[in-house]
Amino acid sequence: MARTDNITSLFGKSPIAPLQKHMKQAHSCLKDFNAFAKAANAQDWDKADTIRISINKKEEKADKLKKKLRMNLPSTFMMPFSRRDLLDVLLIQDSIANITKDLAGLMMTRHMVFPQEIADDFIKLAGDCIKTSGAAVAAINELDALLETAFGSRERKVVDKMIKEVNRLEHETDDSQNDIRKKLFALESSLPPVDVMFYYRAIEWLGETADAAQKVGSRFEVMLTK
Amino acid sequence: MEIIIQNSDILIMLGIGFGLFMAWGIGANDVANAMGTSVGSGAITFRQAIIIAVIFEFAGAVLAGGEVTATVRKGILDAGAFTDSPHLLVYGMLAALLAAASWLFIASSFGWPVSTTHSIVGAIVGFGAVGVGVDAVSWGKVYTIIASWVVSPLLAGTLAILIFKSLQNLVIDTDEPFNNAKKYLPFYVFIVGFVIALVTMMKGLKHVESLKHLGKDMPTSMLIAVLVGIVASVIAVFIIRRIKEIPEDDEEFSYASMEKLFGALMVITACSMAFAHGSNDVANAIGPLAAVYSIVESGGEIVSKSALPSWILLVGGGGIVFGLATFGFRVMKTIGKGITELTPSRGFSAELAAATTVVLASYTGLPVSTTQVLVGAVLGVGIARGLASLNMRVINRIFLSWIITLPAGALMSILFFFALKGIFGA
Repeated sequence: MARTDNITSLFGKSPIAPLQKHMKQAHSCLKDFNAFAKAANAQDWDKADTIRISINKKEEKADKLKKKLRMNLPSTFMMPFSRRDLLDVLLIQDSIANITKDLAGLMMTRHMVFPQEIADDFIKLAGDCIKTSGAAVAAINELDALLETAFGSRERKVVDKMIKEVNRLEHETDDSQNDIRKKLFALESSLPPVDVMFYYRAIEWLGETADAAQKVGSRFEVMLTK
Repeated sequence: MEIIIQNSDILIMLGIGFGLFMAWGIGANDVANAMGTSVGSGAITFRQAIIIAVIFEFAGAVLAGGEVTATVRKGILDAGAFTDSPHLLVYGMLAALLAAASWLFIASSFGWPVSTTHSIVGAIVGFGAVGVGVDAVSWGKVYTIIASWVVSPLLAGTLAILIFKSLQNLVIDTDEPFNNAKKYLPFYVFIVGFVIALVTMMKGLKHVESLKHLGKDMPTSMLIAVLVGIVASVIAVFIIRRIKEIPEDDEEFSYASMEKLFGALMVITACSMAFAHGSNDVANAIGPLAAVYSIVESGGEIVSKSALPSWILLVGGGGIVFGLATFGFRVMKTIGKGITELTPSRGFSAELAAATTVVLASYTGLPVSTTQVLVGAVLGVGIARGLASLNMRVINRIFLSWIITLPAGALMSILFFFALKGIFGA
């Protein structure tokens, strides 16, 4: 009697661990950017390219994780949060990896070297963005504890604090972004105009990773209040 | 009458054979569903599960199963329709047993989730309505039974939500989940022990000659129920005491130690599930057998009041254990492996709700499906946002199998009924 259809079949695969894994993957993509920016700054293009390839590979893996999670979410599954919100969080998480890949690609093809005056600021901005995304990883990692308490108020408060931290860090990146832009503006006239354009773009894209991390947090909050 | 007297031995032998077949099917499928979660959580080994099943399925059947057995035996059909032709009732019950057991066997080998309860009710109604006449069926009772199939999962779901939500507030979502679990869990065990014992004494023991006076003696019943509750909670305290909080485990996941407490108590939920299952589902096998036996023994008279001989219970209990030992363990193993998503705290809530609901159904004499009640309870926990994901398509499948099982059981029992009529004579 090979009974395949027993009470087991009632339980779908939990999307929680895959979501957390994907966030970690996207974050590790961004984490590599720090080393990339440093290598680019030192004009060590061989090393930079190795890191860029690693970023690409990690982005691809994040993409695969994203697709796999999506495929395992039939609409017939009843989950403690809306499927729509979960998919939104997933998409925003994925954008962190995407932006990082594009940014590294852009800097690599243009062999972009920031002017001495703002090089360190750019690396610091990268660090801030990584911190922001790291804080978002921590919030997402609380999802299993949230489920365990059935989204109880006490655990929710813990997560709320974490999301506030993400917001705070994101504001900091906004400030550093402004500082760099101001400095760059002062230098503008002495630099090749096309380069300047792309400096602005690189700063903007880097800042977008922190924006995405913040969006992960706020979307995550929406997901919790079903 | 003469047919019965001439063939009394062979009819009873057939009854025992078919009854064993049916009980075996129940043991192979149902018990595994009822207890698989406890085995899966690692709280009990397979050997222990069998021992628990033997003891508590038996206890449930003997102490609390009388009312459901009575329903299956004579509640679904109108005894008045058979006064002149008791042999037809014997054929019918034999046919119903064989049909339900065969249908279970076929469905299970294809992996369809069928209910033993639905099969036997469909089979009895089938031969009654078609083989004998529409008037032979007590339709009012049948409608009540069908209504109970809708109500019981709903009730279990509601209870599961209540149990789980209260656990969430008192234990899980607190500063010290481990200590609070230690503090409050024995209380939950007490309530369940109390309710099951009280319900059993109020109605179930009516069928046990030496104990039936308890049903009318409210104060004594209460006292015994309280004692049973206390014994159960003391056992729970002893089990819980052995579990130590391991802070290293909690670093990874803050509720690891607390879950271990719930896991240890799965022994108790397994006992209560086995008792509940015994009180309700054993009747599916022994109800028809008891009907056959009482008619044959009385030489063709349909005696409305006759004690249930204990050997019939042995057939039911023995068949179930045999089914569990031969096939049930496989089902149990797959369930045990499959339900990783149902953490012990969820399993605890769902199983307590399901066991209480099934015992309450047994009290009212309504044959319900233990598996469906458990599914209802699990859904309740899901609605309370306690589970990561539930496959709602399975609910459709269960509904579908429910619709198919009734006519399938009925059709087969009609065939067997006419076959028996042909063999033994009208």
